Amino acid sequence: MKNKRKDKEEYLERLWELKEAGSESLDDFMRAVKDDYDPELLDSLTSDGLVELDEKEKRIKLTAGGADQARKIIRAHRIGERLIFDIFGGDFETAACEFEHTVTAELVDGICTLLGHPGECPHGMPIPKGECCRSKASTAHKQVVPLKDLEIGQTARVAYINTKDDRQMHNLDDLQVRPRSVVKLHQKYPCYVVECEGAHIALDEEIVSSICVWSDNEPNESDKSELLEFGRKHRKRRGLDFLFGRKR
Amino acid sequence: MDSESARKIMIVGLPNSGKSQVFNNLTGEYTVVANSPLTTIQLKRTRCRIGNQICEIIDTPGLHGLYVHSEEELVVRDAIFSDRPDVIIQCMDANRLKQSLTLAADLLTLSLPMIISLNALDETSRKGIWIDSEGLSRLLGVPVVESMAIYGQGTRELKGLLEKARRAMVKVRYGDVIDDGLLTMGAELRDDFPYNYTASLLMLRKDPFIMGQLAKTYGDLKVKSIQKEADEIRGRFRGNINRFIIGKRNRWIDDVTEKVIKKQKIAPREFSQRVAGLSRHPVYGLPILLMVIYAMFYLVVNVANVLSEWMTAMLWTPVETLITRVFPSGFWHELCIGEYGVLSLGLANALLTVLPILGVFFLLFNTLEDIGYIPNLSVMTNRVLNKLGLSGNAILPLVLGFGCKTMAVLTTRTLRSKRERNIVVFLIAFSIPCAAQLGLNMSILGMMGAGSFIIAFSVLAFIGVAAGMGLNMILKGEEKIPFIQELPAIRFPRPMPVLKKTYYRLYWFLKESLLVFVYAALALFTADRLGILDAVKRGLSPVIEGVLGLPLAMTDAIILCFARREAGAGFMINLVRNGEMDYIQSIVAVVITTTFAPCFATVMAMGKELGARRTLMMMVAIGISALVVSGSLRWILITIR
Repeated sequence: MKNKRKDKEEYLERLWELKEAGSESLDDFMRAVKDDYDPELLDSLTSDGLVELDEKEKRIKLTAGGADQARKIIRAHRIGERLIFDIFGGDFETAACEFEHTVTAELVDGICTLLGHPGECPHGMPIPKGECCRSKASTAHKQVVPLKDLEIGQTARVAYINTKDDRQMHNLDDLQVRPRSVVKLHQKYPCYVVECEGAHIALDEEIVSSICVWSDNEPNESDKSELLEFGRKHRKRRGLDFLFGRKR
Repeated sequence: MDSESARKIMIVGLPNSGKSQVFNNLTGEYTVVANSPLTTIQLKRTRCRIGNQICEIIDTPGLHGLYVHSEEELVVRDAIFSDRPDVIIQCMDANRLKQSLTLAADLLTLSLPMIISLNALDETSRKGIWIDSEGLSRLLGVPVVESMAIYGQGTRELKGLLEKARRAMVKVRYGDVIDDGLLTMGAELRDDFPYNYTASLLMLRKDPFIMGQLAKTYGDLKVKSIQKEADEIRGRFRGNINRFIIGKRNRWIDDVTEKVIKKQKIAPREFSQRVAGLSRHPVYGLPILLMVIYAMFYLVVNVANVLSEWMTAMLWTPVETLITRVFPSGFWHELCIGEYGVLSLGLANALLTVLPILGVFFLLFNTLEDIGYIPNLSVMTNRVLNKLGLSGNAILPLVLGFGCKTMAVLTTRTLRSKRERNIVVFLIAFSIPCAAQLGLNMSILGMMGAGSFIIAFSVLAFIGVAAGMGLNMILKGEEKIPFIQELPAIRFPRPMPVLKKTYYRLYWFLKESLLVFVYAALALFTADRLGILDAVKRGLSPVIEGVLGLPLAMTDAIILCFARREAGAGFMINLVRNGEMDYIQSIVAVVITTTFAPCFATVMAMGKELGARRTLMMMVAIGISALVVSGSLRWILITIR
C-alpha cells in the first residue's frame, strides 16, 4: 500500500514535469516513466480524479486536484534537493550518505533548531543534546538571507542566486558570484560594491536582492578586531530574531 | 613576409587583465594600456619576429567565456573561430584566478596550443597569496609563465615558450551522458571544423549564436542533425543542463584553485583598498572628486600655462623677430607669421601653445588612469544616471568620454539597449569634453580665474543632465537592464608606464595633427586672401556677435574646432592672451566650442555605431542645442552682472 502511494506520487511528479515542458502526450509520459509504466496505476489515478486520460487522442494531463497534489510533492522534493545541494555544494545524489561526515556542528545546530530540537531519532534512540537545545535557541544560527541584508564589511558564503534569467546567471557566474563563493559587502550606497574572489564588483539593488548568502559566516580575521566582530554578531542575531518572530 | 608563413598568436583574457601590455611586450610596439576595462575594443594585429619566426600577434578585447549573450561579445570568439590561431596566450590576472579559470575552461576545449601568462604576481604576493604556477601548469596541461607584464618581467620566458606551446589536452568532465554526447556530436563536424568539441558544448548549452555561425559554413542540414543530437542529450538529462555544466565547471575551478593557491591568514591591510573605498564613498567620494578636478585645474593653470608662455617667449619671439627683419610686411610676412600664418597659427600654435598644456594634462590624466580611479566613479554616479533613464552599465562609456570621445562612442556597442546607446552617444557628443579639450579649457578659463571654470563646467554638467532627462522622456522605454560592473583594483601609479603613455599620447597628437594644424592655417589663409572668410564671418556675425556676443575672430576658432579640437582651442588661448575676450566671452566660448560639434573622428565613429541618418539628426540637434544653451548662458551672465 505504502509503495503504491509512492509510485502514484512518482507518476504525479512525472506528469508535473511534462506539464512544465508543455507536453500532454501519452507517448512522452510513457517515455518518462520507461519500464515503470503500469496501466492499472494510471487507471486508479484517473478514478481518484487526479489525472485525465484520453486514450484515443493519446493525451494525458493532470486535473486541478492532481496538479495541486503534484505541486506539493514536487515542492517537497525540490526543497529537499535544495537543502542538500546548498549545503554540500551540488553533488546531492551521493550527498545524503556523506551527511554525518560533512556537516559542521554549527549547521547541525541550525537544523536542530529548525526542527524544534527533536529528542529522539526516527528509530527511537535519544539524540545527544547540542548547544542550541541547552540555550533553547528559537532561531537557526546559520540562515540564508539576501546579500543586501548583510552589514558593511561582513563576509558571507553565497547560498544560491534567485534568478530566472539565464543571462544574468551567466554574467554573475563569469564574475564567480555563484553558490559557495565567498563575498564581502563593501558598500551599499550609492550602489552596492561587493568583493568576490579578488575582484570588486558594483551591482544595483535588484541584483543584490537576488543573491542569497549564509549569514553569520566565519568573521574575516584580517578585517576587524574580535571585539567589534563580536558586537556585530550579537546585533545581527537580535535583528534576525525580530525577523523570525515577525514571520511566525 | 607572406601571410602563409606567419604564426598567428592570439592574446585572450578577462577584461583589464593586461593583454595589451603583453602585446606591447611581445611586439615592442605601443598600444594604450590602462587600469580599466574596455581599453581595447577592437582587434589589433601586428607582425614581428620572435626567435626565428615571423609571428602575427593579435590583441583582443576582454572576454569572460566562449558562451556569449550578445553580438559585441562575439567579436573575440569569431576571431578565434575564423582566424584559427596557432597559439593562444591567455592572460590571467593572478588576483582573479578563479574568474580566469572560467575562461580557461572554455579555451581548453579548443585543443589549441596554449600558454598562460600569469600576470600581476607582484600584487598577489603583496597580499600574501602564493600561487603554485608549476602545479597550475600540471593541472591545466599547458605551460604557465609567471609574469609582471607592466615591468616587462616574464616576457623573455613567454617568447621562449612560444615555440614549445603544446596542444591543450585537459578538459572539464561533465559525466558520461554529456561527455559521450559531446563526442558523438563533435564527430559529425570533425573533418570540417577544428573546434568541434567547443561547438558541440556551445550547442548543448543553447548558445544563441553558434547555430547561425555553423549553419553559414556547413549548411542547415548538418547543423540540424547535430541539433537533434543535442536535443536528445538534453532530453536524457533531468534539470537545467546549463546550470549543471556551470556547476561542474565551478567544481573543477574550486579543485584547481584549492591545490594551487596558498593564502596567509593575515594580510597587510592595503592602503590602496582604503583609497578605493573612500573614492566611492557616498560622503567622501564627492569631495575627493572635486579635489582631483581642482588639483588638475591648478596644475594645468600654474604649470602648463606658465610653461607654454615661457616656451613662446624663448622660442617663438626670436623666430618672429627674425622673420619680421627679413619680410617686414607683405604676402610672405602674412603667410609665415600673420594672423593665419603657417608658422604662427600652424606650428607655433601646435607646438608652443597646445603641446605643453596637453603634456601636463596627459601626465595627470594618465596617472589617474593608472590608479584606476575613473571607472570607480561609476559607483558614485549610478543613481544620477538612473534618473536619466540609463542603467549603471552606461557609466563606463560616459566616463571614458573624458579620455577620448571617439573611443567612448565605440564602446557604446557594449550597451545592450538601443535606447541607452542613443542617449549615451548624444551625451558624449554634446556635453563631455575629451581629455585634450578638457586640458585646454582648463588653461583658457584658468587665465580668467577659477570662478569661470566652475561656471562653465557646472553649465556643461547641467546641460548633460538636462539633455539626458529630455531624451529619457522622448525615447520610449525598454525593460531595465540590471547593473553589473567589475571595478578595476585601485593601484599606486607607476612612474615609468605613466611617462611612457604620456610620451606616446603626445607623439600621436603630433603625428596625427601637426599637419592638420598647418593645413588648417593654410586653408584659412587662402580663404582670407580670397575674401571668402570675410564673407563667412559677415554671414555668421548675427550669430557669433549677436547671439553669442563673441569677437568675430572666434569664427576662425569654431572652424578650426571641426578640423581638430586642439587647433581651435589653441587659437582661443591666443585670443584670451591678447585680451580680445573678457570673462563672460571666455565662458561662452568654451561652452560653445565644447558642445557645438564633436570632432571629425567622433562623427565618423557615431556614423559607424548609429548609422548615417541618426548621426545627422543628432548633429543637427546638437548644433541647435549648443547655440541655444550658449546664447542663453551669455544672456543670463550679463543679466546677473
